[in-house]
Amino acid sequence: MNFGISRIRSLVGIQEIGLILVVVLLGTVLTAFGGKVRMIEFHKNAAGENERVVVEKNKFLNARNLTQLAKDTSFVAIMAVGATFVIIAGGIDLSVGATYALASVLSALVFSKGENQVWRGVLVCLGAATLFGLLNGGMIVLLKVHPFIITLGTMAIYRGIAFVVTQGQSVGGFPESFRQFVRHETADGLSLVPLITMILVAVIGGIYLSRLAAGRRIYAVGGNELASRFSGIRVDRVKLSVFVIAGLTAGIAALLALGYYGSASSGDGQGYELNVIAAAVVGGASLSGGKGSALGALLGALIIQMISTGIVILNIDQNYSQIIIGAVVILAVLFDQLNNWLAKRRLAARAVNP
Amino acid sequence: MKLIWLALVPALALSIDASAQKKSYTIGLVAKSQGNPVFQAARVGANDAAKEFGAKYGIEIRIDWRTPNEEDAQKQAEAIEQLAVSGADGIAVSCSDANKLTDAINSAVKSGVPVATFDSDAPASKRFVTFGVDDVQCGEQVLHELAKIMGGKGTVAILAGNQNAPNLQKRAQGVKNAAKKYPGIKIRDTYYHKETPQDAAAKVEQVMQANPDIDGWAMIGGWPLFTSNALKWQPGTVKCVSVDALPPELAYLRSGHVQLLLAQQVYEWGHRSVEHLINKIHLKKNPSSVKDVSPLIPVSKANVDEFEKNWQKWLPK
Repeated sequence: MNFGISRIRSLVGIQEIGLILVVVLLGTVLTAFGGKVRMIEFHKNAAGENERVVVEKNKFLNARNLTQLAKDTSFVAIMAVGATFVIIAGGIDLSVGATYALASVLSALVFSKGENQVWRGVLVCLGAATLFGLLNGGMIVLLKVHPFIITLGTMAIYRGIAFVVTQGQSVGGFPESFRQFVRHETADGLSLVPLITMILVAVIGGIYLSRLAAGRRIYAVGGNELASRFSGIRVDRVKLSVFVIAGLTAGIAALLALGYYGSASSGDGQGYELNVIAAAVVGGASLSGGKGSALGALLGALIIQMISTGIVILNIDQNYSQIIIGAVVILAVLFDQLNNWLAKRRLAARAVNP
Repeated sequence: MKLIWLALVPALALSIDASAQKKSYTIGLVAKSQGNPVFQAARVGANDAAKEFGAKYGIEIRIDWRTPNEEDAQKQAEAIEQLAVSGADGIAVSCSDANKLTDAINSAVKSGVPVATFDSDAPASKRFVTFGVDDVQCGEQVLHELAKIMGGKGTVAILAGNQNAPNLQKRAQGVKNAAKKYPGIKIRDTYYHKETPQDAAAKVEQVMQANPDIDGWAMIGGWPLFTSNALKWQPGTVKCVSVDALPPELAYLRSGHVQLLLAQQVYEWGHRSVEHLINKIHLKKNPSSVKDVSPLIPVSKANVDEFEKNWQKWLPK
């Protein structure tokens, strides 16, 4: 039993517990003040026919709203897990939005060719996004240029290619089997595929970072690159791997969005790089490297989406959402700095009074 | 004192009762982007319609504005889904990408929330009405007016904004279709640009430097005219007809750089959409046709002062 708890503790740190508390607090506030909503549901009557029934539910705490919240969170959260890998290694990836757009349009062009192109489309989406990550990482390592510059450049290049290949047209008409899989609804009309994918990505990312040696090396490189190099870690390989992972997660998010929304255009994902970085930072990743977690990234994305959804539920003017989210990002960093300062003080006190 | 209370309590009870009985509707308004003044005018139109029809039918109408900061069809789809889940009674949307919004519109309609589109339609969706210009006709009208001003001959450039926008693609097609009727008119090319006034003005300048023989501009969106002094030619030497007639654009009519503006009824995008939705959800009345086409209003030097007065009403206070 203790073994199980210690295992969970190794995956869920103090920071994540704090974030979970913020999620619970936000959820409680929205449940208490959100009010009621009348919803249409289809119930089976005595004759076995679907009957339209109007039911009154809590505006926030109802299954449809929660799955909607999970779906809206999933695209950014999945990319934020990948971005967190990059940030932990002390890098930054500004090209995730453009990678998302280019992988989307390339696979959309394959998907739109017919029902028998599903697997090819999936491979193109994930393969292309991974390749773009590899290109980012490769250039950063070989040219020894700061990731900010390389990914700023590839952000424009990837989006430009997306524009050229589509001629600015939206590409739709995907295989029904693919769309039905991603949009699959339970008997209650809930779409769970985005939620399940998001959880899977966060769990795999979490295990990779906290349980595998490869994951620990990412923290080491981000914490102190020079020391890592001297201790025998192949720093370039680690750097390359984090950008590949960031590309892959952008591909997974793109695939999910393709199936859910059914089209792609070169304008997709504009500005998502900043949403993704904001989610990672709120989730506890430090832009100076060496800190962050996959679960934190998911929770960071969830908190930002809860604020955005909460603004709709509480009928607040949407213009306030940007102000609130901006303030939350700054507060998260301040809280992180306070935490670090307290930890240092505790260590210093222990050194004086062992 | 007691007497006053005795009189006040039933009066208060009655007024509370009356307000409790007043039917209330929430209409979600999802435009393409926050910063664009045409959508701000649509928002004012929707708010005015809410007051007007609220008073007319003794109901309460609330406009819930849920528009992305920048154009983003995915964010629009999320807004429609959120509005449907959080109890909106109707939704009006201007679609950034019809393909991407069709499922969101259909699922809102399935859950009992009627959807109207304005400005940019999603023709394959289950929206019950669409309001706005016919984009192909709009492009054709721009060219017809320009050809009239140019005396049926000359070299024309088309200025379009975002290459992704389906409504602009249709308008550009309309211009090219209409040009076939004028053997003296040659279309040099369609020039796209990032949809900011500065980028648009820079594009016009670049094109004019590279093609000094261009003597007519068909602007299917009027972005360069949001800046001042964007058009460097001597007034009258190059003829120009542009869609939209926002306040900064009117100065170009007065200076003689632009001969005609064709105003979209941007205030009506919001006003008319709310009217359609209230007819549908409160009066249970469907529109006579799914397509409600709004004509373009020609604005020239002759009627510019009169037209400008509208903006005092249309822009947010």
